Amino acid sequence: MKPSTISNTVKTNLLIISGATILVALFFVSLFVGKFPLSINEMLGGNQLHIQVFLTLRLSRAFVGVLGGFALGLAGFVYQTVFRNPLASPDIIGVASGASAGAAAGILFFSGTFIVTICSFGGAVAAVLLALALASIDRTGKKSTVVLAGIAVHSLMQTILMFLKLSADPERQLASIEYWIMGSLNGINSHIIAPNTVICCVCLIALVLLHRQIILLSADEGEARMLGINVSVWRLILLMISTVTVACIVSMTGLISFVGLLAPHCARKLTGNNSIKTMVLGGIIGGALLCGADILARSVASTELPVSIFTSLIGAPFLIVLLVRGKDNV
Amino acid sequence: MKKRVLGLMLASLMLATTACTSVENNEEGNGNEITEQTVDNQQDDEQSAPEEEEDTENEETVDYSVTYPVTIVDQAGREITITEEPAKIVSGYYISSSLLIALDLDSKMVGIEAKADKRPIYSLSAPELIELPNVGSAKNFDLEGCIALEPDLVILPLKLKESAASLEELGINVILVNPENQELFLEMADIIATATNTVERKNCLVDYINAQDAMLDAAMTNAEAVKVYLAGNSGLLSTACNGMYQSDMIDNAGGVNVAGEIDDTYWVETDYEQILAWNPEYIIIAAEADYDVEDVINDENLAMCDAVVNGNVYKFPSKAEAWDSPVPSGILGSVWLGSIIHSDLISAEQCDSVIEEFYETFYDFKYSEN
Repeated sequence: MKPSTISNTVKTNLLIISGATILVALFFVSLFVGKFPLSINEMLGGNQLHIQVFLTLRLSRAFVGVLGGFALGLAGFVYQTVFRNPLASPDIIGVASGASAGAAAGILFFSGTFIVTICSFGGAVAAVLLALALASIDRTGKKSTVVLAGIAVHSLMQTILMFLKLSADPERQLASIEYWIMGSLNGINSHIIAPNTVICCVCLIALVLLHRQIILLSADEGEARMLGINVSVWRLILLMISTVTVACIVSMTGLISFVGLLAPHCARKLTGNNSIKTMVLGGIIGGALLCGADILARSVASTELPVSIFTSLIGAPFLIVLLVRGKDNV
Repeated sequence: MKKRVLGLMLASLMLATTACTSVENNEEGNGNEITEQTVDNQQDDEQSAPEEEEDTENEETVDYSVTYPVTIVDQAGREITITEEPAKIVSGYYISSSLLIALDLDSKMVGIEAKADKRPIYSLSAPELIELPNVGSAKNFDLEGCIALEPDLVILPLKLKESAASLEELGINVILVNPENQELFLEMADIIATATNTVERKNCLVDYINAQDAMLDAAMTNAEAVKVYLAGNSGLLSTACNGMYQSDMIDNAGGVNVAGEIDDTYWVETDYEQILAWNPEYIIIAAEADYDVEDVINDENLAMCDAVVNGNVYKFPSKAEAWDSPVPSGILGSVWLGSIIHSDLISAEQCDSVIEEFYETFYDFKYSEN
């Protein structure tokens, strides 16, 4: 192994360890930040209220913050790699707009957080299936076809969302839809997260196991075919898994902006390569970003603020610094 | 204590009802004794204060009828001169529509806001309003549809300022209203009553509201404030903060809004942790919420909240109107809430009789029979 490769590997490993340490620290901070004055002594003393708040609300919220950010970061890496486009994000094939339209339909025609989560998940998956079905009409298998189909589906979902918002009662349903779209982890509790987190974890494991295919798809299509990859099939499989991963998260939290775009970007800037470790680092940065943003969202004001405000506020300057500092070696 | 409260309440009810009955009898014989006038909020306050004091003494001699042309200042601060008593009125806001019914002007209405069929007060009090052409809502106003009705007066929410300008260019008088709280509601009532020559009827409504306020004040003098969480229309985690009408309503009813510590003027999103930290004694659900008492009781995240443990979860009645909004019947929200959180001071029977009296007097239907 060349010295530069060794030093790169060490650097990447160090970055992963540092990132993971920050993520774990943020997770623990997240456990003890919130509106309820949670006390370890009270919990150890058997105070049921404190134990319940910790187990059902605080722990699940911190967990979803970490898992959600990790999933968005990892899925973002897959999108950017598969499309070989640093601006690609889960929304490029209509996931976010599908989830929004689904959530709006859930708010309008049903009630209850769980139903809204299911509708949102259904909307996201339906949007992606539609985009992929449209893309499959073009037998050439070009990735630009998938992007164009995604843009069409995104527009369609936005139209449906607009129609639903127009039909909504401005005092209650419209306010709920708008707040959902802004994204927040304030409704997260242990009673609703189980199905989504299980599916999300399965998808994340699958993506890590399929890292070879993901990395190969970053190469030129001809090269990838020569290396034995059926580009069209693997692209669809990986996009589908990434989409389900994102759908699992946004259907619980509402739209979280910037994490899926920014986290993998930052990881690539830091490591300077496109490897499995960069993919994992993208997930770690995403987790830290969302967890940190959620801590701020619930502590800087007397009321809950949309988490996307902070993912953008923290993430954008960080990305700008990386772009400025790393412009020569990217 | 209870007897004193009941006595005070009955006396106030009798006063208000007597005054209203005389208004109904006098309305047909309105003269034109007030010359051209400019009514703004300050002037109106100056005018109404002595009137209230001398109300009972001068009941037979004071004539509240309006002489046209009359110039009013609406809640957007615009001056509008109305040359003659409006015969055709369009209301694009449910709060002003409800006020028009209370002012006995429903027969003059030629257009109404969207989704009128979803508001039970219309079918209970003035079913003909449901059949009127709909002029849309604040987010989708039908300007051409409104013009086509050729109204003399259009009442719109403040959000429709631009539509108001377009209507005025065509010579249609528009009053913009913004009844965000009780004070602004009363101001709106003054403006509309002056524009439509229904000041006497409006005074009657205001007297009734003031009488109920006084009754609640007297009843709650020594009452211990009860911690109340008001869950909003859009969701259980949405709540009213201190700058809102709903927060004042809780205060009037002898409660304390647990979210009152939040300084805002609109619904805010909170979380389960915050509700548990506040630990309210009562959870009250807004009238038009999609969820119900059972949903809150069965919400495992609130299983240890005092309100849920003690079964103190209630939803505002919505049989006629959402009393948790600044509608003419909004005072009933305070009375109803008072009877829930201080049932020892205001009994359910007392509350029922106030509600019955109100709707019979101002909306001409029996609440208990519908």
